[in-house]
Amino acid sequence: MPYRLEITIKPDQHDAEGQSVRQKAKAYFGIELSEVRTIRVVTIDATLSAAQLEAVRREVFTNPVTQISSYDPLPVDADWMIWIGLRPGVKDNAGATAREAIEDILGIRMSPDEAVYTSKRYCLKGEGLDLKTMERLAGSLLANDIIQQWKIFSRNTWDPRNGIGIIVPKVVLNHRPTVTSLPIATNEILQKISDERNLALNPNDIPVIRAYFLDPKVRAEREKVGLGDPTDVELEYISQARSDHCNHNTFQGRFLYRDLETGYADEADNLFKTCIKDPTLTLQQQKDWVISVLWDNAGAGRFDEGHYYVITGETHNSPSNMEAYGGAITGIVGVYRDPMGTGLGSKLIMGSYGFCTGLRDYDGPLKPRLHPRRLLDGVIEGVRDGGNKSGIPTPFGQVYFHSGYMGKCLVFVTALGIMPAFVNGEPAEQKRTEPGQLAIMCGGRVGKDGIHGVTASSEVFSENTPAGHVQIGDPYTQKKMHDFLLEARDQGMIRFITDNGGGGLSSSIGESARFSNGCEIELEKVPLKYEGLDQWEIWISESQERMTVAVDPKDLDRFMELSAKHAVESTVIGRYTDSGKLHITYEGKTCAYVDLDLVTAGFPQWEFEAHWLPPAMRGLVEPALKAPVDYAALLCDMMARPNICSREWIIRQYDHEVQGTSVIKPLVGVDRDCNTDAAVIRPVLDSMKGLAFSQALLPAYSAIDAYHMTTCTIDEAVRRLIAVGGGLEHIGGVDNFCWPNIQYHPTENPDGKFKAAQLVRSCNALRDLCLDYGIPLLSGKDSMYVDGYLEGRYGEMHKVSALPTLQFSATGVIEDVSLCVTMDCKAAGDRVYVLGVTRNELGASEYYEHLGHLGSLVPQVFPEPFKRLYRALSLAVEKQLVASIHGIYRGGLGVHLAMTAMGGNLGIAADLSRVPVEGVSREDKILFSESAGRFIATVPPESGEAFEKLFEGLPCAHIGNVTEKADLEICGLNRQVLFRVAVDDLKAAWKRPFGDLI
Amino acid sequence: MSKISALVLTGYGLNCDHETAYALELAGASAIRVHINDLIDRKALLADFRILVFGGGFSWGDDHGAGVIQAVRLKTNIGGDILEFIEKGNLVLGICNGFQTLVNLGLLPGFDHDYQTRSVALVNNDCGNFRNDWVRLKVNAGSPCIFTRGLDSFELPIRHGEGKFYAEHLVLDRLEQNNQVALRYASKDGSPAQGEFPFNPNGSIRDIAGICDSTGRVFGLMPHPEAYNHWTNHPDWTLQKRRQHPGDLASETTAGIRIFQNAVKYLRNG
Repeated sequence: MPYRLEITIKPDQHDAEGQSVRQKAKAYFGIELSEVRTIRVVTIDATLSAAQLEAVRREVFTNPVTQISSYDPLPVDADWMIWIGLRPGVKDNAGATAREAIEDILGIRMSPDEAVYTSKRYCLKGEGLDLKTMERLAGSLLANDIIQQWKIFSRNTWDPRNGIGIIVPKVVLNHRPTVTSLPIATNEILQKISDERNLALNPNDIPVIRAYFLDPKVRAEREKVGLGDPTDVELEYISQARSDHCNHNTFQGRFLYRDLETGYADEADNLFKTCIKDPTLTLQQQKDWVISVLWDNAGAGRFDEGHYYVITGETHNSPSNMEAYGGAITGIVGVYRDPMGTGLGSKLIMGSYGFCTGLRDYDGPLKPRLHPRRLLDGVIEGVRDGGNKSGIPTPFGQVYFHSGYMGKCLVFVTALGIMPAFVNGEPAEQKRTEPGQLAIMCGGRVGKDGIHGVTASSEVFSENTPAGHVQIGDPYTQKKMHDFLLEARDQGMIRFITDNGGGGLSSSIGESARFSNGCEIELEKVPLKYEGLDQWEIWISESQERMTVAVDPKDLDRFMELSAKHAVESTVIGRYTDSGKLHITYEGKTCAYVDLDLVTAGFPQWEFEAHWLPPAMRGLVEPALKAPVDYAALLCDMMARPNICSREWIIRQYDHEVQGTSVIKPLVGVDRDCNTDAAVIRPVLDSMKGLAFSQALLPAYSAIDAYHMTTCTIDEAVRRLIAVGGGLEHIGGVDNFCWPNIQYHPTENPDGKFKAAQLVRSCNALRDLCLDYGIPLLSGKDSMYVDGYLEGRYGEMHKVSALPTLQFSATGVIEDVSLCVTMDCKAAGDRVYVLGVTRNELGASEYYEHLGHLGSLVPQVFPEPFKRLYRALSLAVEKQLVASIHGIYRGGLGVHLAMTAMGGNLGIAADLSRVPVEGVSREDKILFSESAGRFIATVPPESGEAFEKLFEGLPCAHIGNVTEKADLEICGLNRQVLFRVAVDDLKAAWKRPFGDLI
Repeated sequence: MSKISALVLTGYGLNCDHETAYALELAGASAIRVHINDLIDRKALLADFRILVFGGGFSWGDDHGAGVIQAVRLKTNIGGDILEFIEKGNLVLGICNGFQTLVNLGLLPGFDHDYQTRSVALVNNDCGNFRNDWVRLKVNAGSPCIFTRGLDSFELPIRHGEGKFYAEHLVLDRLEQNNQVALRYASKDGSPAQGEFPFNPNGSIRDIAGICDSTGRVFGLMPHPEAYNHWTNHPDWTLQKRRQHPGDLASETTAGIRIFQNAVKYLRNG
């Protein structure tokens, strides 16, 4: 019988959570609440005695110093009450740990049928509140209806004896697992099956699939194991393996590219091969630090003789767009499994985030499912809990606002790990499965989670329908698994390891079985969250926090013992063979039997038309704009622009120092409030070597040319590394493409050919600059459908597509972290230098955007001169000649001189006439051009000469000095003071937009 | 001379074990990371150690009050061993989640050698959110705390969502009378923060950042000494480097490591 325990903070104590709800209700909706108290509800669906119930109430759930609790409804006075609980099947992390605690203290084991659920009751007070307001609070602030349910009570409808009632969100399926065979006599029939089952098979793939199953030889083999027509397990498997997500069909497609201005035509066959794989393999030949690329869950580079670092980046856009918190936490916890599943397994050492959303204060007519503000709150919290609770520092991240992300937000998550070079004398970056090894699933259990993604959301909810299609990551379960697997690795027990992400077991087993060339899986062995899953569901479920491991039979007992010690569930679900077949049984009966190479061979390439319209043909021109007069006000307003202003409130929510490795933090400077150019950690604690990490994204430039967007993004990431002390000789890259749909459709996607051309240009730029800069792509991913339909004012639906976006991550190894440099100016009297050439490149700049223009002259990258400059600067760092280095990024020289000054809370007096320029002769353009390849450096006067000597023949100018008086004083081209503004005012403007948020 | 042996707990979502063990080693101890279950199953024996560290992390996800379930599990299974460990004159340190665990076990404040009563709590930060920042701390020179000996004012990082120290007034008075408040949040100049955010980052009553028992051998604090294991951990190190010779910076022992050194020194001399 279920029991409901309510717990709340004693009435005389501050309710921080309630206070936060009060503030958000006011700030977001203008709803005035005079008081909010929160009550935690723990529903125990198990048979316990009165004494047991009292023991868990007292010992586990109630802090005697701060809380009161009762199995009766707590009498907290309120005008309105909102109860919010999870829908059945949604991961209830707190419920799971509550169960562990109850079992532990009582020394019992609950039956599989018993469980603990957590929920919340908010008690609200305020003048003139009505039901409509409460519904708004519930649906738009406190809960998301795709994972949560709620009940609203007024003072009048509240029954103090029954309270919220007893609500048990238990999944009850009442379904007998069934394998279905599906006849595929014609292409049309298979297409119909694909449509009905949401298999999303590509029409070109259908004949290939049919040909396989209709091949007499295949049929004869299948008959021997009791199969005829393909089963649902098999078709679902093929659908997963052929999906764009798993197979990257777009990047491997054929692009018929045409420049509509010049008539130039080119066929790009397989962008992945020509622009990512081939250049990276070429560079791997040249650079011995490149250890492992292009095949594993993450790429690896050498950190030192005994260690390799690994890195990968992912996105989790669509789920986050539906349920921001759940999507983001699932994303970060999910990407953390990639390094765990790289080589024989890596320890996680850092993570980073990138969020792209609509403007936080959007108040236009479009109605996204979640307002950008709420969406951003959710993704921030999701990545926060996922990272912090995993014990992995998050020392870097970026946020970019643009209306194009209203259709779908972007949530980038990046993970870095480290592995010893050798495990038991074996190279740690290598792994393979062998026939006879056991296939073991570790970690979480399997439910209906993530099956067919969002398609399930259109199903009608009943009281016990699982809403598991939207997942909630569980960092606690995963952290236990992480610790367990590393210990198992160090004891030499892991032969192969990979994670269960997209496609679940179908993908992890399918991939691992390719090494041994076969496997036999017994699906009934897979531990389930609840009974009633069909076999195909078990096979493709994306339930989180699972790894697949291959273990030799002789190690099994030790492996299971270690697993038990770490309180991690591990289950043998089959074994690897060399039969060439993926053979799946359920209770002894075959439900899938296909050739392992089926999903990799013989499918036709996707094809796209790509039509490039150069900026001029699209009518883009430079604006007719005359120089401004009030520069001080202009610069302050620039500092407050949404994509420039301070995001301290986000950064401080992320633990960026756990593991004790922090060298350069996300916020630096004398007041520790300015953004670093890059993060540096010291992942091997007894070594002075460092790992530098940076990211950049500049989607605004895509509005002019995605080629230059790409080169500028890569250049910015590189400069960020150089600025903290990295060097060109070791830069690893990770490309994360997020693109709107590029498949042309006359009405649904009329500019699809242009978007495809942008992708081709972007990939070409990636290839060109990575070869020029010598950056192997250690890892990369693509997410191709960043579009959404939004309802407008009159019920009309708008397709909103994001700007073509590339997030580029860069890594560098630093020999001695004590040589690292931060961006803040350090001492009055130091010289201020500008390095690099400022050009007439304001197209798509913050400045033009601020004044309502786009322009056409987008910044460009000139690899050879840039590299010479970067090498000289690295040498200056090595010789310890500089006090600070800061790249000049979005916003240009004016904004970044202000940043350098703000970092040190000192002034800068600088003369624009000394800035190295090419083709610019206007102060506003010098101040706000976004030319690539530039830095600001401050140099102690005694080092000035040596510094300048390093830059002989390079664009380097001593433009002014750091001053004690904290003013930014800029002289114009006539050497007269153009403007002067207090650094305090600049900082205040920079902090104003989000300064109230904590 | 054999090294002082230290045990750092791991498992169930704890996560500062590697750097805590490293900090102890730097301080001259021999540190071993031991899974909570190995301690419960007696595969590792508390009796073999002199220092027991409850480190930072999110034990059991911290879903039901930080450190609560860890405390329940330890109390149920090895509560007696821990009491015996303390009685034998050994040292116990709780950092962040470990501090939360110590107060939930009742090891702190440990009035009158009662190591089982919960009378203080660490609750949600007043700012309503998890926060990572460096804070200035002021040592109570009159405190019997072993770990803060010889330290006056220094900085350490805090990284928590539930770090607001709370107790009834009578309990607070008693803590202060006994000089059990070993560490307080301070303003830039080292004077008490007086509740002012962000100097007092969580709203702790009377700026309390760390307390010890009446013997000074059991100490819990919210800030993370193990995360200041190297001079480049400090947020100002690049600025300091511009102002003084880097060699001098590198040769100084960090305040974080000095806390662990105090523990080792005490046991070595005692």
